[in-house]
Amino acid sequence: MTAEAPAITAGHAAALAAAAGHARRGISNPILGMILFITSEVMFFSGLFAAYFATRANNTPWPPEVFKGILNPLSLILVATIILISSSFTCQWAVWSIRRGDRRGFIRNIGITFVLGIAFLLMQAYDYTLLFGEGMTLGSGPFGTTYFTLTGFHGAHVFGGVLMLGVILYRGMSGQFSARHHDAVEAVSLYWHFVDVVWILLFSILYLL
Amino acid sequence: MATHALSPAVPAYRGGLYEWLTTTDHKKIGIMYVINSFLFFLIGGVFALLVRTELATPGIQLFTNEHVYNEAFSIHATVMIFLFIIPMLAGLGNFAVPLMIGAPDMAFPRVNALSFWMLPLGGLLLLAGFLTPGGAAAAGWTSYPPLSEKLAQSSPGPGQDLWIAALILIGTSSILGGINFLVTIFKMRAPGMTLFRMPIMVWTMLVTSVLVVMATPVITSALVMLYIDRNLGGSFFLPKEGGQAVLYQNVFWFYSHPAVYVMVLPAMGMISEVLPVFSRKPLFGYKAFIFATAGIGALGFSVWAHHMFTTGAVFLPFFSLMTFLIAVPTGVKMFNWVFTMFRGQLTFSTPLIFAVGFLTMFLIGGINGAFSAAVPIDFALQDTYWVVAHLHYVLFGGSVFGMFAGLYYWFPKMTGRMLDEGLGKIHFVLMFIGFNLTFFPMHMLGIQGMPRRIADYADPSWNGWNLLATIGGFVIAISILPFLWNVFISLRNGKIAGDDPWEGNTLEWATSSPPPPYNFDRLPEIRSERPVFDARHGLVGHGGHGGRDEEEAPMALEEGHRDSQGPTA
Amino acid sequence: MSTSPRKRPASEAIVAGGVVVLLIVIVALVFLSGAGQVLYPPKPATDRAQEITQLYDIVFAIAVAIFVAVEGLIVWSVLRYRRRPEDVDLPAQTHGNNLVEVLWTAIPTVIVLFLFVISWQSLNKVDAVSADLTQTVRINAIAGQFQWQFEYLDASGKHLATQTTPLAGDSGGGMAVPVGKPVYVTLTSDDVIHAWYVPRFLFKRDVIPGQLNHFEFTVDADEAGQTFHGQCAELCGTFHNAMHFDVVAMAPADFDAWLAKLVEKANATPPPVPSGAPVLKVEAKNIAFDVKTLEVAANAPFVIDFKNDDVSSITHDIQIRQSDGTTVIQNQQAIAGGTEQNYQYSPLPPGTYTFICSIHPVPNMTGTLTVK
Repeated sequence: MTAEAPAITAGHAAALAAAAGHARRGISNPILGMILFITSEVMFFSGLFAAYFATRANNTPWPPEVFKGILNPLSLILVATIILISSSFTCQWAVWSIRRGDRRGFIRNIGITFVLGIAFLLMQAYDYTLLFGEGMTLGSGPFGTTYFTLTGFHGAHVFGGVLMLGVILYRGMSGQFSARHHDAVEAVSLYWHFVDVVWILLFSILYLL
Repeated sequence: MATHALSPAVPAYRGGLYEWLTTTDHKKIGIMYVINSFLFFLIGGVFALLVRTELATPGIQLFTNEHVYNEAFSIHATVMIFLFIIPMLAGLGNFAVPLMIGAPDMAFPRVNALSFWMLPLGGLLLLAGFLTPGGAAAAGWTSYPPLSEKLAQSSPGPGQDLWIAALILIGTSSILGGINFLVTIFKMRAPGMTLFRMPIMVWTMLVTSVLVVMATPVITSALVMLYIDRNLGGSFFLPKEGGQAVLYQNVFWFYSHPAVYVMVLPAMGMISEVLPVFSRKPLFGYKAFIFATAGIGALGFSVWAHHMFTTGAVFLPFFSLMTFLIAVPTGVKMFNWVFTMFRGQLTFSTPLIFAVGFLTMFLIGGINGAFSAAVPIDFALQDTYWVVAHLHYVLFGGSVFGMFAGLYYWFPKMTGRMLDEGLGKIHFVLMFIGFNLTFFPMHMLGIQGMPRRIADYADPSWNGWNLLATIGGFVIAISILPFLWNVFISLRNGKIAGDDPWEGNTLEWATSSPPPPYNFDRLPEIRSERPVFDARHGLVGHGGHGGRDEEEAPMALEEGHRDSQGPTA
Repeated sequence: MSTSPRKRPASEAIVAGGVVVLLIVIVALVFLSGAGQVLYPPKPATDRAQEITQLYDIVFAIAVAIFVAVEGLIVWSVLRYRRRPEDVDLPAQTHGNNLVEVLWTAIPTVIVLFLFVISWQSLNKVDAVSADLTQTVRINAIAGQFQWQFEYLDASGKHLATQTTPLAGDSGGGMAVPVGKPVYVTLTSDDVIHAWYVPRFLFKRDVIPGQLNHFEFTVDADEAGQTFHGQCAELCGTFHNAMHFDVVAMAPADFDAWLAKLVEKANATPPPVPSGAPVLKVEAKNIAFDVKTLEVAANAPFVIDFKNDDVSSITHDIQIRQSDGTTVIQNQQAIAGGTEQNYQYSPLPPGTYTFICSIHPVPNMTGTLTVK
């Protein structure tokens, strides 16, 4: 048996190389993983949205008299919405930049996205204090509970996204990404778009409907 | 077909506690999943014995504080579902799937390790409830509000909050595992293994993982909302504040029904591997089986409200229809299994015996479930011991028996040793008898009117059945002993297994037992769902690059003897 | 690749077939002998229970047939197709058969659709409610931790009287209903989810706070004089297992008399407090008494002014027991949450006693009564 060892070792090495490099064509593992993770997050928000709609259907008037007009779409929250939507654009420009190998463009755009994300969070936090001041909290009945639960978890996801943007900003600045290898950027951008889409839905449902 | 390990031989498992604590090898992680889950099986079993001891005779004997009885059955079920069966099947899948698709590991090995380690932590959190003043969660594993809310007459203590935290942690572990399985299965199959050449075990893990990724987050949302109600002034489920109690049930069961398929599909996958190997025939209707599995997964999302038929808040005809329909693909699978055995050549090794046990028990469980699908009958049976009988026939008679089939089948691959057949048979016989003794009488109890989740009962006609069920429970407990003893002695002194002790069909039998860390030296050609069978019978080459396989003549068809070394040239 | 199926000894087939037949015979005997009765529901007591029993019989017959057929196949295969030492060649490697796949998909589909249709038809009958509620006897069943109350309403739904003794007995307790007349029940609770379940009615319905559930039934005329046991069937807390009630079926005339007595008792002015008797004040809130010790003079009657401050569905009482905490000496009628009552107690010899809420016998609702 041992006499065969050298041939086997070579054969084995070749087999391993083939297996390792032979990830199927198409999207890479990390990106597929991120897509699936986003799917799970979509389902999480679905549960919360279902609870929102059921609660809203069970409580008339909606909003309750005491909170009538408190969720004004034409206020600071609209600015925050525009900022978040813009950040999706800058994020996508960053992806296109790095796909072209334009490292500096990538860093610039991701940096802007990162800042816009933080701006959104700060505005959301300020908006919360305004609402608290007007007596609307998690504990002020179904209206408050559903509002703060939905936007709160969204904000938490934005925060997670901001952290991820920070990481790829750092990695980009230290030259870890190239046109051929930037899976993390693609994955984070997908997540960021998801966070934005959820906000568009939230804003429409909570503020406009 | 012998495999040639590297020289000098790489030890299969480097020992050492540090190695195991920091491993990202799916095989080791899978084994840790199995050990951890089995520990929780025993813990959950102890709670079951406590419950059965109380119910053996009328009157309160053990749980003079009846609140603690409620804790006992709540934690029993929670442990069995979330800390035993779901992770056990995920763990066996963790061990088997990369091997069965010819991959060197899971797609995300570090996430794999993280998924595992969240489990003992979650278990500790859950059980820590017993150390708190109000005791552990006591509102049932379903924890319906308002009983699970933080009101004086409900669940004011932190035990319920620990339950919530534990389940969120365990659910996250599950979701990460599901993502890992899906990427592994879609992206890391060996060349030649198309989707329709994957072993059924891999298919069931695929569908299970889809369910996990899509359904588990929904219960996370229910748990989060309950937590907000309890601790942050929320009013999702509190009727007095504009909330709805039934909302929780809908969100909860939207997950918990697909969850039962998460609990059974991998076990079905295991017996779908065992039956063909020990019948010496391919699985009957491989493609139909896959479609049936996918059908069950899809339909499984449409039946959740059959757990809520008596709430008066459900569109009954729809859910009744979907529940009846899901019996069809399940039946297809049943027939396919039986016809795999039909006209085969059955060898009654322990894995096959447990697989046959699965078939009978799951048949009963499926049939008694059909009664509840008929809504008016469910009005009589819901929340009685009939449901307890049903759920245990499918989850214990089904999943646990299937799990044991898988354990006995893959133990040689995991450890390099064979388990003792005699002890295995004793285990089966005792467990089969004990199981039926425990749970068949519950049909009688349910239809005669005994509700579930009661610490005591007053109808004397229920005394005999309850006593019988308790005796059966202890027989089950005793049956575990030969299994544990078997594992203990076989690990030290079991017969060396060799690569392929069972004449298996699938790729895990194409490498050593246990496999090297990188899993395969080389792979046979993959031209069907039974690559090792094909290679053994000369239907394909042994594949690989270089190597000496051309010198090994294809196995002659007439050679049928089998020894623990596997057929060798 | 595979060889032709070898001929197996006929004796094997006979043995296998024999075992299958034996199993079928055993199953049949179990049912014919009456031992199988335990797998059938108890004797139905209402029109709708009758409907459910008939449905059950059909489902049961199909279930047994399917079980015998499939299990027979399993047993047959297991006995008939064991590998013999001479089985060296592989058996025929049948991969499947599309025709049988279609058959065993289509036929079960037909069977389950049949079951669905007949169960839906039954459901419509079971869930039906009278169009004109004034023709029904209206009861509002109030479920609370851990006792039932039954509020009787008049034809237009106005409150008449509430029965706070859920169990039948000499005191006329239980949920009395007339036979042969439709009884329309609404279900309410103020605390947690409960379920109204009577096994002889083959029926249960959840009681959900914030949601008004209802159902209707008519007890068979030949069940007059019978008492049917009922029990809460949805986990509702520590004493869930103790939440029993009785449904007492009466001939219509007896029921009218019973109801009249209940109304009279409810409207009667409470007996005056014996003059000179000391009045102790006790309040119950959040399943707890506000006092843990009471003192009273020996050998003289006394009164407890008892206020139940919990939600309306939670009832309490104050029972006097021996100091061991179990032997009951004096009982009182439980009162609903939000009500107050003067409990009158007979004289007690000196000693130490326990006062306790019989519905919530927990430490918070247990105290010491010192009589000296």
